[in-house]
Amino acid sequence: MSRIEDIIELFSEADYQAMLGMLLDYSESLPPLPEEFREARDAGFNRVAECETPVFVFVGVKNGAVDIHADVARESPTVRGFVSLLVDAFNGAPVEEVLSAPENLIHNLRLDSKLGTRRMYGLSAVYSRIKNEVRKASGEA
Amino acid sequence: MADYVHPEALVSTEWVSEHLKDPSVRIVESDEDVLLYDTGHIEGSVKIDWQADLQDQTVRDYIDKVRFEKLLSEKGIANDTTVVFYGDRNNWWACYAFWVFKLFGHEKCVVMNGGRQKWVEEGRPLTKEVPSYPKTSYKSPGIDASIRAFRDDVVKHLDGKKPLIDVRSPKEFTGELLHMEAYPQEGALRGGHIPGAKNVPWATAAREDGTFKSADELRGIYIDDKGLKEGDDVIAYCRIGERSSHTWFVLTYLLGFGKVRNYDGSWTEWGNLVKAPIEKP
Repeated sequence: MSRIEDIIELFSEADYQAMLGMLLDYSESLPPLPEEFREARDAGFNRVAECETPVFVFVGVKNGAVDIHADVARESPTVRGFVSLLVDAFNGAPVEEVLSAPENLIHNLRLDSKLGTRRMYGLSAVYSRIKNEVRKASGEA
Repeated sequence: MADYVHPEALVSTEWVSEHLKDPSVRIVESDEDVLLYDTGHIEGSVKIDWQADLQDQTVRDYIDKVRFEKLLSEKGIANDTTVVFYGDRNNWWACYAFWVFKLFGHEKCVVMNGGRQKWVEEGRPLTKEVPSYPKTSYKSPGIDASIRAFRDDVVKHLDGKKPLIDVRSPKEFTGELLHMEAYPQEGALRGGHIPGAKNVPWATAAREDGTFKSADELRGIYIDDKGLKEGDDVIAYCRIGERSSHTWFVLTYLLGFGKVRNYDGSWTEWGNLVKAPIEKP
């Protein structure tokens, strides 16, 4: 089973409180953005424009594996938690695994039914952005 | 705060810091971000989420009286507790929760001026410790229908040519956008505004630091510029009724309008109603 499938299973078994707990853990464990990307972030590059929260993603492909780093404001822990979940699921994963991850991931994680669809727009924008970047970086665009 | 018509509806961050252990006070955090409370909150405060706690998950409505009573009992709020609301984004959701509490008739509600932002910027402490309080036996005195407008009320309001305040962004008001920029499209099929409505984006009432503007500035905005008059019967609306609860608070408590209703159906109802009149520039 891929990492993202594991995570989907964990989330689908979790009740509301447990899901919040997992997202909170994720939001606190997002690795700091590596030095090499900070200048670009500070200059406003790689920001996901559709997300009201400042979200920066840096996606590349090295030897067939996805290389992904991100930064999200701490004042937006839900978005930060979700982005951290994606980094956990996809960093180092084979390109194919990321590209074949479910299009309706947010629904599969049951975030929409638990947090309300209103909160999902920014999250789906970040997810699409990451998939597109992987597609481009792997030359499949 | 003295110039407001009902200054007693606001408390300062300082007042809150002095009442953290006051048993007659319960502090409630209500945020747009559902996890923000869990990352750290004012000592002793409880979390109330607009989506999970206050709204019915099936019907488009609020929870019923019985569930409201259960929620407040579990949060340790009694009928005579002073509830202090605060939250992120200029107290947007704090005002929404305040409005819902008023809808169920809770008497002593106040807003912490400046909200979470001001508290944090002043370097005041946050804790992750979630308090628990002895259960109360809360009884809602009943629904206060005078602060909520339904679509039929809006139709009557239109017929009577009474004032409406549309608190959405200018682009939503003109119909160029069907939702707030960078926010979800929540399914309105038509763009524009309710005929005759005046556009005052909700955050116009707030300063940079999240506190409310002065009484004079607010009078300048709503009365001098937009023509509201003393004694007016006003309906405020936005897209789903949350931003307009902030304006409802401003008009009711800070400017003292006696009859202000929040139309929580708002644009996601009106913009989908067959044959509902719409004005578009």
